[in-house]
Amino acid sequence: MICLTREKKGAEILMDYCAGALHPAQAAEFEKHIEACGDCRQLVQAQSDVWKNLDQWTPEPVSPDFDMRLYARIAREQATPAWRQWWWRVSSPLVTLSVWKPAVSLAVAGAVLAVAFVVRIPGLNDGGSQIRPEKVDIEQVEKTLDDLDILTPVPQGPKS
Amino acid sequence: MEAVAAIERDAELMVRVREGDDTSFALLLQRHRGPVVHFLFRMVQNQAVSEELGQEVFLRVYRSRATYEPSAKFTTWLFRIATHLALNWIRDGKKEKGHESLSEESADGLERQVPDRLPNVEQELVHDVKRREVRNAIEALPAKQRAAILMHKYEELEYSQIAKALACSESAVKSLLFRAYETLRGRLAHLA
Repeated sequence: MICLTREKKGAEILMDYCAGALHPAQAAEFEKHIEACGDCRQLVQAQSDVWKNLDQWTPEPVSPDFDMRLYARIAREQATPAWRQWWWRVSSPLVTLSVWKPAVSLAVAGAVLAVAFVVRIPGLNDGGSQIRPEKVDIEQVEKTLDDLDILTPVPQGPKS
Repeated sequence: MEAVAAIERDAELMVRVREGDDTSFALLLQRHRGPVVHFLFRMVQNQAVSEELGQEVFLRVYRSRATYEPSAKFTTWLFRIATHLALNWIRDGKKEKGHESLSEESADGLERQVPDRLPNVEQELVHDVKRREVRNAIEALPAKQRAAILMHKYEELEYSQIAKALACSESAVKSLLFRAYETLRGRLAHLA
């Protein structure tokens, strides 16, 4: 017994049945079931109505000059230099967003890493801070020596 | 059997295109131009845009001829490109630029000509209203559900082909289709 409300693949059976894609044996079994099952009958009716309504929407015919325009585009493309063809492809508005999204993210990530690497290179910025303590030390040493000179007692002359 | 032959014929034609046979490209174009443009029209609901995107699809097929390998069905590949272009167009928000309706005036200011297929004006009007309701209901679906339902209903692609075109699993396609049909059953119930 195939019951749409109990069968695990109920949705698939319903779609396939209304599309005429269900295996004939399975379809026959299902038809037997819907004679007795009100819920399934209702679902099949609703799906068939959708199917019929969708059939109402017939598209307009393709323009007669479609092929001509396409061949003109192909000819134009073949006449342009390879590098320009490549540029058009990568800058085409139909593909840019999807194609470039990961590329932009990668470029930004790379730039951030590069900046971080440059900032952290020992010897570029840290070098300055290493030199300064040395200068301070020399100055301190000189000052200390001067101070020592001041503190050194001036030799007194013989008492008269 | 006929379908298998058609698939093999497509692959064969594309292999010939790869070898430089432009007549085979013309045959492929003739076979698939209609389904591709109609699918795109139902996706973007704009005739001019659907033809522009359709041209881009065949241009890409032509550009890729040198690297073509008949590993997948030709139609799957074709609809994968078409779906990709349509979803990008919708995502980029180009939809607002122009929306044509069968009942609206065309760009040259003239009322669009509708083929006289039904016996009277009243029936034609009812048909027109139904068609518009169907268009609106499909337009209101999320883009992926829309693509799935259009490929399933109008192009009669298999679940596996739709899955490849949408780059998702077969079970995801079945789920998309079920949700889409469920929504349409609700939205179009009053037309029954």
